[in-house]
Amino acid sequence: MTQGAWLCLLAPLGGAWAITVMGDSISRRTAAWISTISVFTAFAGALVSFVALLRKGAEERETMTTAWTWLSTGSFDVGLSLLIDPLSVTMMLIVSGVGGLIVLYSVGYMEGDPEERRYFAYMSFFVFSMLLLVQAGNFLILLVGWGLVGLASYLLIGFWHNRPEAVAAAKKAFIMNAFGDATMALAFFVLIWQTGTLEFAPAFAGAADLSSTALNLVALGLLGGAVAKSAQIPLHTWLPDAMEGPTPVSALIHAATMVTAGVYLIVRAHPIFELAPSIQDLAAGLGAITLLVAGLVALVQTDIKRVIAYSTMSQIGYMFLAVGLGAYSNGMFHLMTHAFFKALLFMAAGLVIHHLAGEQDIRKMGGVRRIMPRTYIAFLIGSLALVGIPPLSGFFSKDSILAAALASGGYGQVLFAFGLVGALLTGLYTFRLFFIVFRGEPSPLVEEHAHGHHGEGPWTMTVPVAVLTLLAVIGGWIQIAGLWHYFGDWLHDVAEPLVEPTVTQDYIASALAVGLGLAGMAIAWIFYAAPRRRPLPRLAAARDILEHKFYFDELYDAVFYKPAVWISAQGKRFVEDPLIGGSITGVTSGARRAGGALGEAQTGYLRTYALAIAGGVAVLIVVFVAVQ
Amino acid sequence: MRGPDVSWYLIVSAILFSIGVLGVILRRSPLIVLLSLEIMLNAANLALISFARLHGDHDGQIFALAVMAVAASEVVVGLGLIVAVARRKLVLDVDRFRVLRG
Repeated sequence: MTQGAWLCLLAPLGGAWAITVMGDSISRRTAAWISTISVFTAFAGALVSFVALLRKGAEERETMTTAWTWLSTGSFDVGLSLLIDPLSVTMMLIVSGVGGLIVLYSVGYMEGDPEERRYFAYMSFFVFSMLLLVQAGNFLILLVGWGLVGLASYLLIGFWHNRPEAVAAAKKAFIMNAFGDATMALAFFVLIWQTGTLEFAPAFAGAADLSSTALNLVALGLLGGAVAKSAQIPLHTWLPDAMEGPTPVSALIHAATMVTAGVYLIVRAHPIFELAPSIQDLAAGLGAITLLVAGLVALVQTDIKRVIAYSTMSQIGYMFLAVGLGAYSNGMFHLMTHAFFKALLFMAAGLVIHHLAGEQDIRKMGGVRRIMPRTYIAFLIGSLALVGIPPLSGFFSKDSILAAALASGGYGQVLFAFGLVGALLTGLYTFRLFFIVFRGEPSPLVEEHAHGHHGEGPWTMTVPVAVLTLLAVIGGWIQIAGLWHYFGDWLHDVAEPLVEPTVTQDYIASALAVGLGLAGMAIAWIFYAAPRRRPLPRLAAARDILEHKFYFDELYDAVFYKPAVWISAQGKRFVEDPLIGGSITGVTSGARRAGGALGEAQTGYLRTYALAIAGGVAVLIVVFVAVQ
Repeated sequence: MRGPDVSWYLIVSAILFSIGVLGVILRRSPLIVLLSLEIMLNAANLALISFARLHGDHDGQIFALAVMAVAASEVVVGLGLIVAVARRKLVLDVDRFRVLRG
């Protein structure tokens, strides 16, 4: 079992290492396959661990394996250890499984890119980082994985480094994530200071004795990291910009891995959050706000990938809502189904983009159904799963979150209302995108690309899409409210839920959410697909706000960027130039002047020197005589 | 102890030394400067030997011998320089050698 976990962790690292070391001596195709095989090997390792865990009793499904002591300072020891329990195995399966499909898809998508090898090395490295994060046996290793994920995402978002927007987006993502890393590191400092350990179990045990201030600080720091990584308000602005990266990167970052890390962290550290209930409520609140804001902004986006990116933010908002209310397995369940259908949507969108020679503007698309009928089906299934229409996977997971909110008292019911509005918005923005892109008569751009292609893409791209379509359909069936709940049982011992909705609440939530989702779809149909379409309402002010994404970028620009630039400029003017630069100039010119003055003494006349010596001797004689 | 008192020797030594100093400072020919230097050294030798007589030991005399050896080698170097300067047909005037002016 432990061998499986180590294989899972190290295979992608080995793949990245091999591609990097071999460099030009392997073909681009070989590099792509090395990466794909390494990630699928990781999936095999995860499966081995999973099967081994299944065979054990529910009580003993937690194994730590330590390779060596990594850091030893006095009484504070940190080992390079992996934790294998149902939670980490679930994440391993999702990351390596969906990740493997995405890397396979990249083989076709990235074909012909001049820097394919670098791309695949980064992809393997990203999967390794994410696996290190989810398998970490203590907080320090988790932080290492956390930081490496940030680095890998920076490298992948900025992969097309000759595009200034991509470089800017990569920097933005990195800085936002670095902020989260910093708050997490501060939380860990407090933990070390107060409990003296970063191992999960002892730290959780020690946390129970802490003052509420310390606990709130730790929980807030962890939440900061989670919010930054998962692109929740207020640290969400990097995610839409991150769409500058290649489409499979968007699928990898926004579906299977990086953005789910925040949800995983909250579930992993749930004992700390439960001791700081106000912070946990804050997490749920932030999730609820994010799911609304992102859903609204998604309504006006015109870039096919940005719509899906905002939808990701919105869905992660649901997960935050769930784990913030203590419905851990519900959040993780949605994380899993979301990984399926969101990766599917991104990759189906990638097929369209690929087919239309890189065009991402949905205003130029339309009628794509005619030329890509199978992609149409896949995208339709992904969209329906996202909206939560039974019996697709999104239905079971999203509705279980809403049911948990309904069962969580007054605060939970407020968030439940948020979630319902979010369900309406999800139907609206998803099918707005779907109708604009796929329905109607083919647009001129689509006509142009209708011929000259064989099929809808190479098999490396279509097979992963097909597999994910299947998963998006059946992925939710492992947990059906009122019938069975394998997923909840599986995670029950790792993170005991704080809230257990009744079957009635489940059905109420399902009925309302499905009804509102269908209503959203109907509204989208009226405005974008009906035979006699209604004109869009002209809400200029609202449209303005949405198109500026609630002015977050402008706000951060005014609050952080501009003052920083101003302070720097003033610093240059009043400190750098006069004090630092001035002192250096002063020292040099002073030395120069003193040298010039002393140089006058060097007359070059021998007699002057002789006189000076004689005079000096005379003075010495006088002094000696006087002293005696 | 016979002969004049030691102070007389010292007075002669001082006069010789002063002559040497003035020669070094005032004269412009390097040859004369070198001669003046020799006078100063000999003034010092005279003082050393006088003290040796006064104290009745040989330290001062040995010192004087060492000074003579140094003076001889100094003259070799100094005259060599002067000859080298003269062979390049430069004016032999210490005031014109002021390349090392600051």
